[in-house]
Amino acid sequence: MNLENRKYFLVGLVVFTGILFLSRLAYMQIFDPTWSRRATEIAERRREIIPPRGTVFDRNWNKIVVNQISYNLMVVEEKLTTFDTASFAKLIGWEKSEVRERLLEIKQNEGYYLNPATGKRESNFRKDRPYPLIKDLSLEEITQIAPFLGDYGGGIYEEPVGTRYYPYPNAANIFGYMSEVNQEEIEKDPFYRPGMNIGRSGIERSYEAVLRGIKGVRYIVTDATAHEIKPYADKKFDTLATPSPNLILGLDINLQAYGEELMKNKKGCIVAIEPRSGEILTMVSSPGYDPNLLSGRKNIRKNYPALVSDPNLPLFARPLQAEYPPGSIFKLLQSLICLQEGKIRPNSVFSCNKTVVGCHNHPTATSVAKAIQYSCNPYFYAAVRKVIQPNLANTKEQDAEIGLENWYTYMTAFGLGKKLNVDIDFSAQRGGLIPNAHYYNRYLGKGNWSFSTICSIAIGQGEIKMTPLQMANIAAMIANRGWFITPHFVKSIGNKGPRAVYLKKHVVPINQQHFNVVIEGMRRVVYEPGGTGSEARSADYVVCGKTGTVQNGKNKKNHSVFIAFAPKDNPKIALAVFVENAGAGGVWAAPIAGLMIEKYLKKSIVNLEKEQLIKNTKL
Amino acid sequence: MRTKDRLFANLDLPLLIAVLTLMFLGVLTVYSVTYNPESPSILSMGEKYGKQLLWVGISLFVGLLMLLIDADIYRKFAEFIYLGCLVLLVIVLFMPPVHGARAWLGIGGLGIQPAEFAKIATALYLAKIIDQINLKLQNLQTVVNILVILALPGFLVALQPDAGTLLVFSSFLFVMYREGISFDPLLLRIINYFRVVRFKTTWLGTHFIPFLFFTLILCLMSLLLSNTPIHILGLELPGIQLLSLFITLLGLIFLLLLIFFGYPRYRKNHLVVLLSAYAFIIMLINSISFVFQHVAKPHQKNRIELFLGLKEDPNGDDYNRNRAMAAVGSGGIYGKGYLQASVSSMRTNHVPESETDFIFCPFSEEWGFLGSLLLLSLYVFVILRIFSIAERQRSTFFRIYAYCVGMIFFYHVAINVGMNIGLAPVIGIPLPFISYGGSSILAFTSMVFILLKLDSQRKDVLR
Repeated sequence: MNLENRKYFLVGLVVFTGILFLSRLAYMQIFDPTWSRRATEIAERRREIIPPRGTVFDRNWNKIVVNQISYNLMVVEEKLTTFDTASFAKLIGWEKSEVRERLLEIKQNEGYYLNPATGKRESNFRKDRPYPLIKDLSLEEITQIAPFLGDYGGGIYEEPVGTRYYPYPNAANIFGYMSEVNQEEIEKDPFYRPGMNIGRSGIERSYEAVLRGIKGVRYIVTDATAHEIKPYADKKFDTLATPSPNLILGLDINLQAYGEELMKNKKGCIVAIEPRSGEILTMVSSPGYDPNLLSGRKNIRKNYPALVSDPNLPLFARPLQAEYPPGSIFKLLQSLICLQEGKIRPNSVFSCNKTVVGCHNHPTATSVAKAIQYSCNPYFYAAVRKVIQPNLANTKEQDAEIGLENWYTYMTAFGLGKKLNVDIDFSAQRGGLIPNAHYYNRYLGKGNWSFSTICSIAIGQGEIKMTPLQMANIAAMIANRGWFITPHFVKSIGNKGPRAVYLKKHVVPINQQHFNVVIEGMRRVVYEPGGTGSEARSADYVVCGKTGTVQNGKNKKNHSVFIAFAPKDNPKIALAVFVENAGAGGVWAAPIAGLMIEKYLKKSIVNLEKEQLIKNTKL
Repeated sequence: MRTKDRLFANLDLPLLIAVLTLMFLGVLTVYSVTYNPESPSILSMGEKYGKQLLWVGISLFVGLLMLLIDADIYRKFAEFIYLGCLVLLVIVLFMPPVHGARAWLGIGGLGIQPAEFAKIATALYLAKIIDQINLKLQNLQTVVNILVILALPGFLVALQPDAGTLLVFSSFLFVMYREGISFDPLLLRIINYFRVVRFKTTWLGTHFIPFLFFTLILCLMSLLLSNTPIHILGLELPGIQLLSLFITLLGLIFLLLLIFFGYPRYRKNHLVVLLSAYAFIIMLINSISFVFQHVAKPHQKNRIELFLGLKEDPNGDDYNRNRAMAAVGSGGIYGKGYLQASVSSMRTNHVPESETDFIFCPFSEEWGFLGSLLLLSLYVFVILRIFSIAERQRSTFFRIYAYCVGMIFFYHVAINVGMNIGLAPVIGIPLPFISYGGSSILAFTSMVFILLKLDSQRKDVLR
């Protein structure tokens, strides 16, 4: 027996093992990417950096919407391998069972969404995704908890959530509010993750894409408890978060606040526009609410139900969403059309014949300007009749159809009968109603109507409906003597100026000289004896205005309307004031408009008694 | 002066240099794994790298002392060293447990593990015993004696519990094989009891160790294949049936060879051997597969499946190994660079024990495949060098001791590296000279320096 040879068995064993191990190593390290990928999973993390939401300024660089940080406690179930429920419950001051229930709730609710493909609620809950465990903790609350979160191996961590704070308790309907994203939004847009907030209405919603900024991504090397050790690959793949540019609104927050104060205890709205730029200076919807009431999850939960069920509809943005008959302010537009069509001349006379349409007692209007001053209903009945019945067809019904279509094109050019497309969520706006031939053919039947049937449109009653924003825009259009820029809130995104659509002039098909006639009428309304808007008068500048008293059905008090602009030459402000169920336009709307103009142009009020009276009046 | 000249003239330089290189790599790796930016000096004694360096210094000093002691002393006092270690292994069982094992003598960080030294003692005593055996007159007593010498420290180590060291004791079986220790006396007694055929020697008894090894591999294969269907020629066969088929074919070939080429005189005996071997193998693989599938409890099955890679549980039972393998795999060809281990560094702590039992993974992560190739080659070189040193000894005692050292090295490297790359179960034993730990370094250094001393005196021995 030769034992010497047995050494080859041992040598063979060693060499074989060596070769086996090296092949295995070569496979693992060079050819099979699985382990490398697994290492990435273990040691590297992709951290998203969410930039702070953009700040909003008013036209005078007052901060009007700023950020306030609150914290969500996030949970990743996969990492809760050794989760001590009892100690965690103690840490957050809950019962043990509550923690369990909440975890179960997350599993059952957070992941559910309505699958549009199947129409069923489906769960896409994933153990490796973070979900908010407790939402909206304040800085004080989180500082009690955060130092101990390291014990949970990265399974529970805090995440800052930007909520909004509004230094001025005004303009809630403009800013809108934010709330937590839903499952569908998370699925649709990779920007959002559970627990984040999204703009739900107002500027927050329409400028969401701008305000949220651009997320940054960091790749880091983490330890076993998910804490950062160092950046991955010397930050080679990292991208910086780009904070949102500031939004500068055309809004004058002080004027807004003043307007809200004047409108306190009244229902209605004020819309003020800078005619030259179309920037909205003020948009009061009364009653309103403090926007801070809907900031943050806790507040929304607490205050939203009350706001929604309030019979005075504080969440309803009246200037954009309410449609009212315009009343006598509509006569300004009728004057322009009649003059342009050549149906009347500036000094045309129509007698105040109360047999066709009612009127109040006033001297006979011997010119268009005086007709506006007296707001003479029969005058405009007669004038508009010439436009609607141009004698171009055999029957008066066919004739009215042709005339109304012509009239309708003017209305459309004035931005009526359709949405103006303000930079607030389009679906939250209304367009009012201007009837055309098609409209009457549908409701009254073709050939069943002529001017006499529909004559109330001449004085802004009947089917005509306008939003207060449209009324203010009409004032701006007249102030500009024939053009307007679509009213908008955002004056500038960062320093880039407004969106391109808000630079375009919409020119109306009315000759320049006709405006002088109408504006003279508006001046007379305010300054001449017998004018209906004398309450808006000022000695320091010329205010041009027009009252409206909107009939509001039987047994209901009329709405009070006033549109105006000032100064007469080179106007700085155009506005519409609408006070529901307040009576004649000259009584309530006109003085409010006067104060607003004074506040904006002079910064201080001379007639404090009048101011006090309006503030204290409850309608 | 003469002694000194002769000492250094006869030292085996390749082995010495290889071992010193390993020590250097060890300190380097421990430094990287446990690196603390606040005390970057390698001499900071508060950090593990400082301690490791200190232990290397102590070990080299002890090694130098060992070179100065006459080699004959180890032979003379082998029993006493062995007994001394047994006493230490008993005492250690009464020490307070550290990490669940009563393995440390002494207090805290300054403790030593007697189990590490028991390996040397057992190797020395085993060498002395086998040296005294007349190989031609082996009987039951000689085999039992050797097994008892191995079993005693093995049993004490198992009580700690330290499965790794227990496993290392089985490495001596391979040395026994090399030395011609036969299990025949044991086997013959059993076989001849039945009086069917008479054997003077059996192939099985003579080659018992390789047979055991072969059987283990067969077991592993049958476990691997028992749950894995294999597709061949459009047929889906259970893996275990395929293996049976393969072995049957192999058996038939052997049968034909036996019939046509075998010595007629031994044909009957060989036929019996072949048939019993065939029956044994078929029964073995099928029963293992059956036990695995139907008898093993779920948690046992789970363990085995994890080890075989049939199942993954990266965050549970397989946490360490999964992360270690990820670290190794992420190293790529060139590695991530020194101090750049992102998975296995102590700072990230994804791989627990990455400075001791799992130290191969940070090394491999930082130096990549090329570094691992170098390290494994160095180990293979060291082991083969020790084998060749063993073979050149005139004294049987020296040779057996040398083989023991070589096999201890082989076991440590194979199990340690194996578990880092998923080829061995997770059993905690250190990687020689690399893993952090004083006892391990001191023991391995002593082991190698005793070997160097014995080797340097090889020419003094008269055969």
